Amino acid sequence: MARIQSGSGVAIAVRAQPEAARRAASSLWRRRLTRTAILYVIAIPVLAIMVLPYFYLFVQSLAPWDQIDKTLIPSSLTFRSYQWVWTGGGFLAEPWLNAFFNSVLVSVVDSVSVVAIGAIVGYALSILRFRGQRMVYNFILFQMFYPSIILLVPTFLIIRVAGLYNTYWAMILPKLVDLWAIFMYTSFFRSVSTEIIEAARLDGASELTIIFRIMIPISRSITTIIFLFVFMARWTELLWDLIVVKDPATQTLNVLLATLFNSYASYPGPQYAAAAMLTLPVLILFFAFSRNFVKGVQLVLR
Amino acid sequence: MVSISIGKRGNNIRHGARGWLLTSPYLIFTAIFFLIPLVWSIFLVFQDWDLISPTPVFVGLANIKEALSSPRVLAAFVNSYKYMVLFIPLVMVASVCLALIVHHLPRFKALFAVGFFLPYLASGVVVSLIVRGVLSYNSGFDTFLRTALHINPDWLGNGTLAILVITMMMVWKFAGYYALIFMAGLQGIPGDFYEAAAIDGAGPWTRFWRITVPMLYPAFYTTLILAVGLMFSIFTEPFVLTNGGPQLATQTWQLEIYYQAFNQFRAGYGATVALLNAIATLISILVIRKIVETWGHHYGWD
Repeated sequence: MARIQSGSGVAIAVRAQPEAARRAASSLWRRRLTRTAILYVIAIPVLAIMVLPYFYLFVQSLAPWDQIDKTLIPSSLTFRSYQWVWTGGGFLAEPWLNAFFNSVLVSVVDSVSVVAIGAIVGYALSILRFRGQRMVYNFILFQMFYPSIILLVPTFLIIRVAGLYNTYWAMILPKLVDLWAIFMYTSFFRSVSTEIIEAARLDGASELTIIFRIMIPISRSITTIIFLFVFMARWTELLWDLIVVKDPATQTLNVLLATLFNSYASYPGPQYAAAAMLTLPVLILFFAFSRNFVKGVQLVLR
Repeated sequence: MVSISIGKRGNNIRHGARGWLLTSPYLIFTAIFFLIPLVWSIFLVFQDWDLISPTPVFVGLANIKEALSSPRVLAAFVNSYKYMVLFIPLVMVASVCLALIVHHLPRFKALFAVGFFLPYLASGVVVSLIVRGVLSYNSGFDTFLRTALHINPDWLGNGTLAILVITMMMVWKFAGYYALIFMAGLQGIPGDFYEAAAIDGAGPWTRFWRITVPMLYPAFYTTLILAVGLMFSIFTEPFVLTNGGPQLATQTWQLEIYYQAFNQFRAGYGATVALLNAIATLISILVIRKIVETWGHHYGWD
């Protein structure tokens, strides 16, 4: 024990310190451990409840038809529901598979378009400088807050008058541009330093090259978020796709599922299979891009 | 010395043509799918058009009078507040709790955040399918209620229960989404506040209500506006499950617009209901905004 200048009283206190500190630290540590354990005991069941409907969906889609909706865990699994859907709906001849591809077509085209046009216009409004730029940006803000429900009937009439009713164009065209995407890209691009862009311009790059070779790669997490959200919104859209397309061969899977909702009330097996087909792509996409998604969420919410 | 354009951001004219060219996709789109419908919607309110006859008929204020005295529109109007009164407290409590859980988890935060968010990705039609199945008369759940608890709720045939079912579906869907917003809000609260409060002797309950909740004001503001707007655009779940029934108990604005414009082919009247919907939404949002801002002001937010 080193001799301490201030006197033996302090020396005794110093010797006692490590013991008391250790006791305090271990009880704090134990309290923290209990708290963490309680948190997980709450969090895991809550997560299970949130995800339970998905679990129910997939299980029921594989359940034997006499047990569907009767139990949470069927005694055996069968692909009968999926076979029904994949072979075009048995004797009812419904275009389930066709509808799936319609959904893919419409959602992919619109998502890609929204990202591309969003980045282009966002670039124009943030990096470039031209007269009237502020006016366009402000108008976009006004447009975003304008109640879109008012535009529903007239937009439908435009589609009808243009002879596009019941076509893929009717589903695709009105959703080619998303204002939120433009807004996101504009905000994000404003924070990008212009040196790279100037250097690229010096090298003779065109604006489009800059956008697609520099700006979009830089904004990977924002692009992921925008693409995922737009894809999901498009994929699960009901109202618009329902009113512009009446022919089941052209309808998206979501719409087909809705229109046939009550026909299968007694034998919902095929519906669960179709619903599973409808749900899986979005889930897979999100899991595949979850890292980018999380980064993007943090960016957006900051 | 070579004159280089690096840093010459004041030169508006140089980017002029390029700027407008790159903005053109947005401009063309806006002209066709925003400006034209916007103007057309005003005309439609005063017209009667069944989409078949070559010209619409001018009917003056008849559409507005009919809408204002229609029991169907009144049901939609009242129901949006019924939904609101149920949905908003439930979803706020749920999403704040979810955010708190994720916020305090030491590990796997992102896993739980994304997990809680998964319900948002589900199509309304799919969720309705699951709900119909689970609440069906012979389902495991319903049978359990009848045999073990001796209650036989008519889930979708009783007006109050039906609204409750639809509300719970939406709480499930949106809690994880709003939780992300609250998570970002929680991250912004300095830890010093809690330490200082703990030193002053404040318990966890007090710390929650006096620090956490007021500091989450921006998050509450955003989620409340989103939630209120959502209440006026409910469509998919009641459309597929109850079609607004029983006897208009689950009627919503968008159901009525859909019914009038696309089922009864009354484009003018449908547009009128849409206009009323937009007005009701706007006024409700303004009122909620005022309430929330007053609350925030009380705690020093401005």
